[in-house]
Amino acid sequence: MDFSVLMQAIVSGILVGGVYALIGIGLTIIFGVMRVINFGHGDIMMVGMYMTYFLFTLFGVDPFVSVLITMPLMFLFGAILQKVFINRILGSLPQNQILLTIGLGLIMSNTAMLAFTSDYKILTTSYSSSSFNIFGISISEPLLISFLITAAITIGLYWFLLKTDTGQAIRATAQDREAAQLMGINVKWMSILSFGIGSAMAGTAGALISPTYYIFPQVGSAFTLKAFVITVLGGMGSIVGATLGGIIIGLVESVAAVTISSDWKDVVVFSIFLLVLLIKPSGLMGKSRM
Amino acid sequence: MKPTNPLHSQRGASTVRVSAGIAVIAALFAFPQFVESPYILHMMILFFLSTLMGQSWNIIGGYTGQYSVGHAAYFGTGAYTTLILLTTKEIAPWYGMWVGIAASVVLALIIGSICFRLRGPYFVLASIAVAEIVRCTALNLTNLTKGAEGILVVDIPAFKIGETIITDFSSKVPYYYIALVLALVIIGVTWLVQHSKLGYYFQAIREDQDAAHSLGINLTIWKNSALVISAAFTSLAGSFYAIFVKFIDPSTVLPLDLSVQIVLISIIGGIGTIFGPVIGALVLVPLSEALRSNVITEGLIKIGLVSEESGVGIFLKEHLAHAHVLIYGILVVVVILFMPEGVLGYFRKMTTKKKGGEA
Amino acid sequence: MAILEIKNVSKFFGGLAANSDVSFEMTEGMIMGLIGPNGAGKTTLFNCITGYYPPSKGEVIFDGKKMNGLQPDAVCKLGMARTWQKVRPLAKMTLLDNVMVGALCRTNSLKVAREMAMEQIKVVRMEHRANFLAGGLPIGERKKLEVARVLATQPKLLLLDEVMGGLNPAESDEIIQLILDIRKLGITQMVIEHDMKAIMRISDRIVVLNSGEKLAEGMPDEIVKNPEVVAAYLGSE
Repeated sequence: MDFSVLMQAIVSGILVGGVYALIGIGLTIIFGVMRVINFGHGDIMMVGMYMTYFLFTLFGVDPFVSVLITMPLMFLFGAILQKVFINRILGSLPQNQILLTIGLGLIMSNTAMLAFTSDYKILTTSYSSSSFNIFGISISEPLLISFLITAAITIGLYWFLLKTDTGQAIRATAQDREAAQLMGINVKWMSILSFGIGSAMAGTAGALISPTYYIFPQVGSAFTLKAFVITVLGGMGSIVGATLGGIIIGLVESVAAVTISSDWKDVVVFSIFLLVLLIKPSGLMGKSRM
Repeated sequence: MKPTNPLHSQRGASTVRVSAGIAVIAALFAFPQFVESPYILHMMILFFLSTLMGQSWNIIGGYTGQYSVGHAAYFGTGAYTTLILLTTKEIAPWYGMWVGIAASVVLALIIGSICFRLRGPYFVLASIAVAEIVRCTALNLTNLTKGAEGILVVDIPAFKIGETIITDFSSKVPYYYIALVLALVIIGVTWLVQHSKLGYYFQAIREDQDAAHSLGINLTIWKNSALVISAAFTSLAGSFYAIFVKFIDPSTVLPLDLSVQIVLISIIGGIGTIFGPVIGALVLVPLSEALRSNVITEGLIKIGLVSEESGVGIFLKEHLAHAHVLIYGILVVVVILFMPEGVLGYFRKMTTKKKGGEA
Repeated sequence: MAILEIKNVSKFFGGLAANSDVSFEMTEGMIMGLIGPNGAGKTTLFNCITGYYPPSKGEVIFDGKKMNGLQPDAVCKLGMARTWQKVRPLAKMTLLDNVMVGALCRTNSLKVAREMAMEQIKVVRMEHRANFLAGGLPIGERKKLEVARVLATQPKLLLLDEVMGGLNPAESDEIIQLILDIRKLGITQMVIEHDMKAIMRISDRIVVLNSGEKLAEGMPDEIVKNPEVVAAYLGSE
């Protein structure tokens, strides 16, 4: 195979992987703090995509600028979901938690369908299909911008979790909920914060890919699955792992598409997922929690 | 603390129950003699089919506690095997469905050998991943499955025993009877499971795998047995769906949404009980059909709440039908938050509470 | 003849030795006490013996058969059963059903299993609770449920992991009586226990573990006088 084709695939894989990482980080924070696997994660992302779409078509806000609006709004959305629904089932069976988030996801996607029909919407900006060349490899401009924004957000999040008191309280809750509670940390509040942050990450990822992806009510489920693969690969609850996992999955998808065929790339991704589950269910970064 | 005895009913109550059961079954068999509306028969068929799907899942999910969210894989395998054999080899569905069951059982054993090493949420995720691999494979093996285009059959060959034609499938009635029998069979199988060693072992595994293991229960064998029974009947449901609807594609018989709906039938009714999935189907089928067929919108218009010409009326008429899955979402949230034991468990609790109050 | 031989059993987790080079024997019908400070490796040894994990080194020989590598269900079928330090009732099943699950290890018939189960429920004197859900029973009764459940698997050797943990003195006395009753049935028992008085009363012999190693073995009155044992307990508590 042509070497430049492979290089091209690797570069786009990494760029897309950055956005995947953001989705994965959102899921992994929620899991880390609450031990709840959020099956509605992709649907939350879908809400972010529609938000971006309407900010663009109705008010002409550039999708990348709209992150500034989408992120806080999605934070609020997630915090409300946590306060109203998830907080009530934290102690119950894991399967009930899974079903609740599935239910919330179905409500989101079907409400979107009711409101916006199931038509595919495309957000076309002036730069949607523009790209530039470096060493013969073409780099998509929107993908590059979104990768840079992702990197900035991820660094910001690391800083928040490592350096601020609230961030440390969140990490303490993730490490040991009961101990954190005994130390006077308001665990319910930390849960609300984490679901808010997780949703903000998912929503932002939605905003960032909307210039390059179709927007439709069911778009979420594919991303929910991807988010699972990413977080399990990196180790449930590990942010470093999710970052790494996102980039690996982006790479695998894009390389599999050129080396095998784009029809089979999902099969490759899910097979890797199963392998990781079987060989090292704790993931690449299994031991370190956040 | 209250003595409960969920596994065996008392003798006195059971004769009443058995006679009531026989009366209901007789009424269901007589039903098509009195009701000719194809629409109502269609609804009944869907109700039986949902019961079959929910009950099949109940055996692995409800009794054994292994929350498979990948049952679409078996449903799709049954549907595809039946229709592929029919369209390419002209093998009639009542032979094809057995091949489908065999294929699903093999698939179940493969999936079991992978997924049963994992527990809790990891098991759920693995079951989804395997089902997605099956879906992607069906989508891409276009030679065999025609991919996204799907498989359409025009005629279902007449069902013959020897030379006698039992039915030629020209109306909904034969489907009605087949679906009814399938639903009764799965209810019977569940009853048998519950009243045998299988039921005790399945439930022990659900309650505590390590404790079960220490009591001489070989987890691999028993979990796989539960999955095989469950997969075989889910496959049968798929085969039936394929000849009933006469069209299948990966997005109708293999998607994650279908796996989720199968789980919900059981959860909404109440898992680990014989009648839970029946109740679940009884709640879900009419509700989602009412949405799908616009009965609700028309009802709102009729009682004058919404005017037909108004924006809201037009909007609901156009879109509510597409969002029938919304009801699944709302129901599951309500059930998990307010009646985690399902509709059946909720009412059981309410009635025992009342009785307790009186005593 | 020895019913159970533990030969140089070691268990490592990563680099840590939870058990190292533990050896002892049990003769049929005896009650062996297994004691030691917290973290001494008692439960780990139970897990190695009953197949929850294979010992890293050494052998477990039960009734003349080598047990290494056998799964817990196979171990149970061969006649060695255990209870759990933290009780594990099958919560949504009744007491009777719980015990029947144990009995079904020996029969395929529910009818036979029910009779066998009722017999064991009589042994623990809980007939009045037979149709109560296991999850709703108080801790003392859940402990007895576990004993009835393992008895129903018809073990030759019973391993009891802190059956008296968390019980009040009256309940503990009941369990002590139960253990002595079980001995009369001819079943060999190994008992992990923190309550020294109780263990001295019931045990024929005692093995003391400390930091994963066997510190001492002997008759109860030898053990109380053993200066090393006294030091280990004083040092740790």
